[in-house]
Amino acid sequence: MSANMADNMQVNPIIGASVPRIEGPEKASGRAIYTDDITRPGMLHAALLGSHYAHARILSVDTSAARALPGVKAVLVGTDLPHNYIGMFIKDQLPLARDKVRYSGEPVAAVAAIDVQTARRALRLIEIEYEELEPVTDIEEALKPGATVIHEQRDEYPTMYELPREPNAICFTEFMEGDPSSAWDQCDVIVEDEYQVPAQYHMYMEPSSTVAEMDGNGKVTVWTSTQGVARSQMYTALAMGLPMSKVRVIAPRIGGGFGGKCEFTNQPITALLAQATGRPVKLTFSREDDMTMMKRRHGGRIYMKTGATKDGTLVARDCRIVLDGGAYADESPEVSPVAAFFSQGPYRIPNMRVEAWSVYTNLSRASAFRGFGNPQATFASESQLDDLAEQLGMDPVELRLANALEQDDKFFCGKTIEKATMKACLEKVRDASDWAGKRLHGTPARPGKKRGIGVAGMSHISGLAGAGANVLLNEDGSVTLNCGAVDIGQGSDTIFTQIVAAALALDMDQVNFAAPDTDSSPYQFQTSASRNTYVIGNAVKKAGDDVREQIYRHAGEILECNSADLELRQGGVVGVKGVPDAALPFAAIAGRALWQEGGPIMGTHNWLYTPQDRMDPKRMLLRGFALMPDAIGIFTFGAQVAEVEVDEVTGQVEVLEYWAAHDVGKAINKASVEGQIEGGIVQMLGYALTEEMLWDNGRMINPTMMDYKIPGMADAPYKIHSLLIEEAEESAPYGAKGVGEICAVGPAPAIANAIKNAVGARVNQIPATPERVLKAMQSADDAD
Amino acid sequence: MKYVEPTSLSEALEILAGDDEARCLAGGATLVAMLNADLVEPSTLIGLRRIDELAGITATGDQLRIGAMTTHAQIAVDGRLTGNAAVVRDAARQIAHPAIRNMGTIGGAICHADPNADFPGALVAANAVLVAAGQSGTRQIPADEFFLDYLETSLEEDEILSAVMLPVEPSGAGARHLKFSRTHGDYATVSISLVLVLDAGACSYARVAVGSVGPTPLHLTEVDEILTGSDLAGETIRQAGRKLMEAADPVDDVRGSAEYRRMIIPGLLQRAVDELREVG
Repeated sequence: MSANMADNMQVNPIIGASVPRIEGPEKASGRAIYTDDITRPGMLHAALLGSHYAHARILSVDTSAARALPGVKAVLVGTDLPHNYIGMFIKDQLPLARDKVRYSGEPVAAVAAIDVQTARRALRLIEIEYEELEPVTDIEEALKPGATVIHEQRDEYPTMYELPREPNAICFTEFMEGDPSSAWDQCDVIVEDEYQVPAQYHMYMEPSSTVAEMDGNGKVTVWTSTQGVARSQMYTALAMGLPMSKVRVIAPRIGGGFGGKCEFTNQPITALLAQATGRPVKLTFSREDDMTMMKRRHGGRIYMKTGATKDGTLVARDCRIVLDGGAYADESPEVSPVAAFFSQGPYRIPNMRVEAWSVYTNLSRASAFRGFGNPQATFASESQLDDLAEQLGMDPVELRLANALEQDDKFFCGKTIEKATMKACLEKVRDASDWAGKRLHGTPARPGKKRGIGVAGMSHISGLAGAGANVLLNEDGSVTLNCGAVDIGQGSDTIFTQIVAAALALDMDQVNFAAPDTDSSPYQFQTSASRNTYVIGNAVKKAGDDVREQIYRHAGEILECNSADLELRQGGVVGVKGVPDAALPFAAIAGRALWQEGGPIMGTHNWLYTPQDRMDPKRMLLRGFALMPDAIGIFTFGAQVAEVEVDEVTGQVEVLEYWAAHDVGKAINKASVEGQIEGGIVQMLGYALTEEMLWDNGRMINPTMMDYKIPGMADAPYKIHSLLIEEAEESAPYGAKGVGEICAVGPAPAIANAIKNAVGARVNQIPATPERVLKAMQSADDAD
Repeated sequence: MKYVEPTSLSEALEILAGDDEARCLAGGATLVAMLNADLVEPSTLIGLRRIDELAGITATGDQLRIGAMTTHAQIAVDGRLTGNAAVVRDAARQIAHPAIRNMGTIGGAICHADPNADFPGALVAANAVLVAAGQSGTRQIPADEFFLDYLETSLEEDEILSAVMLPVEPSGAGARHLKFSRTHGDYATVSISLVLVLDAGACSYARVAVGSVGPTPLHLTEVDEILTGSDLAGETIRQAGRKLMEAADPVDDVRGSAEYRRMIIPGLLQRAVDELREVG
C-alpha cells in the first residue's frame, strides 16, 4: 500500500459525505447573482446583428440610420475593430465578420444603446449589401476537390498544428497500430457500417452574457458567464490588442456550460463596445441569438469496420470519422483527434487504423461539448459491438467482458492504463440491471410496445492542463481558498471546500471559497475535460496540506514537540497526539505568524498531470494531434444499461430505467457525483432521441426551445441507478477522478442497442426519432 | 403600446372596434411570446382578465358553457366535463406544462388557431359551438366552421370569442384525446380526438377529429359514419384510418415528415379506440 493510500484511509469523514452545496441557499432562494443580474452605473445594453446568409461576401455596410437613432451610443462593424484574429489552435475568427460571413447568425454588427429595445431597433436600421455565395453544408462535399472554399486565407492564420491540404479541412488525424490491412484475414466475422450523429446545442439554462467596463487607466473589467476566467481574459485581450494585464475577468454564478462557454462566447465584442463607448455595457443573448450565434456539438459521419475471431476476440478495426466543425475551428483541432483516440473503446484491438477529420462548413461553430468527440465515436463503436455480438451468437456483455482492457494493457498508441476497472463496471451494471434475466426472458411490455435492454461500455480521460491553488490562513483561524475554478453548476466550489476542510479538519463554514477573479486567482485553465476534481483538486489539497505543515511547524515550536506528534482536531485546532489538553486553536498560530514569527501563513501549490509513460512512436503511426493524447490525463471507465420500450405504432422510444456504473476513484461528494451522472444521462437522452440542430440551406430552422426539444422531467427514466466504483487513484486527491463527461458518452449507444433488442431494428442515425425508428422497424420487417 | 383592462365585454368590444391595430390579450401564453419575437406590434393590448362574463364554467341544461378566459388548468380538473365534453378536458390536461396551463386560456388558444394545438381537434370532436361577441350581438359558430386555415378563424376583426358551448349529448358517450408528441409538453405530432357511444360493444355514435395533420382539424363525416353502427372491429378502424390518412394534408416540419404523420394515423386511431374502451 502506498503512502498516499495509507493517508487516504484516515481521511476526514467530510470526504465522501453528501454535503449540501455551499451556494445552495442563494440559488434555492433566487438570490444568486448571475451576469445578467449585474448593473453598473451608466450601463448601456448591447445587441448583435446576425448574418442572414450562411455564406456571403460583405460588399458594403451602412450604419448611418442606426447611429442616428436616439439612444444609440455605438455601432460597430467588422472594419471598426482591430484586425486581431482569435482562436485556440488556429486563429481564424474575428469578433465581428469583416469581409465575409461564414454562417447564418454570424455577428456582423454590434450596437450599444440606452436600453435593449433601442439597441434591437437600431440593428434593424443597419443596411448590409451582400454578395451571396454557395453555402457549403455537407462535410463530404466540403472535402471534395473543387468545393467552394470557406476560408480563402486559411493557410495564413496563426496555427499550432499542421494543416491538411484540403482547403476546407480544419484538421486531419491518423493513428495506426498493428497491421490492420492484413489482420482482416484472421477474422471470422466482420461487421461494417456507417453512422450519423447530430449537431447538439448545449442548452445551458443561462444564455451567454457579459458585462464589460473600462476604467480611466484603460483596464477592462469583465463579468461573464464563462467556464474559465483566464480563457475569457486571454481572448478579450487578444481581440482588443491589450496585454492580459489590462483585462480583469470575474465569474459570478454560472447557469450551465457543458463546453459551450469554454474559450470565448461574447466577451470580446462586449469589451470592445465598452471601449468604444467609454461606458459599461451589458450583452445578454436571447435564446434564439444564443442558438444561432453560439456553439454546438460536432455532428458528423462515422464509417467503421470491426473484425473478430469466432471465439469473440477483437482483431481489427478500421474507422473514418468526419466531423462538421462549422464556420470556425474553435476546439475542433482537438475534438476530432479525441474522437479518433476513443474509437477504440475500452477494449483491446491489436490492429487498428483510424482517421478523423474536422471540416469547415457554413454552419454555426462546433466546439467543446461534454464528452468532446467521444460520444460520437462511441455511438459507432458500441453499436457495432452489438451487431458483432449478434453475428457471433454471443451475449453483448460477455463480448465486452472478453475484450475489456485489463491492468497492464496499453490503450491505443501505447498509453498505459492506470487502473483497469472496465470489467468491474460491466459486471456491476450487468448484475444490478438483472441483465441476464431481462435479456434472456424479456420483461412484458405495455400494450402496443416492445421492450428491450441494451449496454454500452466507455472510457474517457480526466486531467488536462495545469492548475494552482492558494489557501490563506485568516487571523481567526478560518481560511480562504482561491483556485480560480469556475463552478458551472456541477458543484466544484463545494468539492474544493470539502477538500480543504478535510486537509485542515475545518468545518465547511470555516472555509471561504473565493470567487474566480483573474486579479487575484491563481492562473487556471477552464472547467472542462473532467479535470476540476482531479487536477484542481490536487492543487487545492496540496495547498491545504502546505498550510497544515506550516501550522505544525509553528505548533511544534510552541508546544515543543515534533510535527509527527501533532494531530488536527475538528474545527481548527492542532494538538499533541494522546495529550487532550495540549491544544492550540489555529487563531493562535495565525496570530503568532502575523505578529511574531514568519509572517502570515499562505499555502500554495501548482499541479499538472504528468504521464507515467510517453506514447511510443515505434508502436504506432500518429499524426495530426494538436495536443499529444498521452498528456490529456488518466483513464476513466464506465458501463451503462438502458431499458426501453418502443411504440409499435409510432416508433417512439421511452427509456424506462437506467443503470450507470462508473469508476470515480473516490466520490468526494456522493450526491454531487450521482447528480453529475444523472444529468449526463438525461442530457444525452436528448442526444439519443430528440435533439438535432437543423439547417435549411444554411439557415437554422429550429433555433427555439419550442422547435428544438430537450427532454424534460417527464421524459427522464423513472429511475437512474448510479453505481459508483471507488478504487482510489493514487495520483488523485483522496483518489477522486472526474465523471462529468464519461457519463454522457454511453447513453446514445446503450439506447440504440436497447432499441435493437426491443424491435430487431438497428438505428444508425441519431437522434433515434420516432420516424427513424419506425422506418428502421419497417426495413427490418421487409428484410425478414 | 397602450395597455387597457376593461371590466365588461361591451367596453372591450368598443375599444377593439375603435382601433384596427388593437389585440386582445387573454392568458398571454402565445401572444406575449409573439410580442417578444417582434412578430406582432399592436398599438393597444386589451387585457381581458377583469371581464367576469368571460370567466368560469357553468352548466346550463343540455350544455356546458366554458368562458373564454377559463384556463387550461381549470378545464383539466373540472369534473363536470364528462361524456362528450371529456374530450376537451382530456386535451386540456395534456397541453404543454403546468406553468402554461395555469396561464393559458381556452379562448386565447383557439383564437390563435394553431392546428398543432390540442383544443381545435378536441372541440371539433365534441361538436362544440363557439360564441363570438360583437357590438351588434353574438354569433354561434360550430367548431367545424370556426377554424378556416393555419392561424385563421372565422372570427371578425371586431369580435371577441366569449365562450365555448359543449353539448352534453350524446348521453353515455366516452371520449379520448390521444396526443402523440416528441417530448412531454411539446405540440402534437399527431393527435386524435374521439367521442364514441358504445352499447354492448357496438358503436352507436362516433365523432373523430385528427390534429396536426393539416391547416385545420381533420374531420370527415364519412369516417364517423363508417364507425357508427359498427362493432369497431380492427378492419373497420383500419378502413376509417385509411380514409383519414388519405384526406390528411400535413406538412414536413421538425416534428415529423408529412409522410410519417399520415402513416401513423390508422394505428393511433386504433389506440384511441382501445384506450377509450379500456376506461369504458
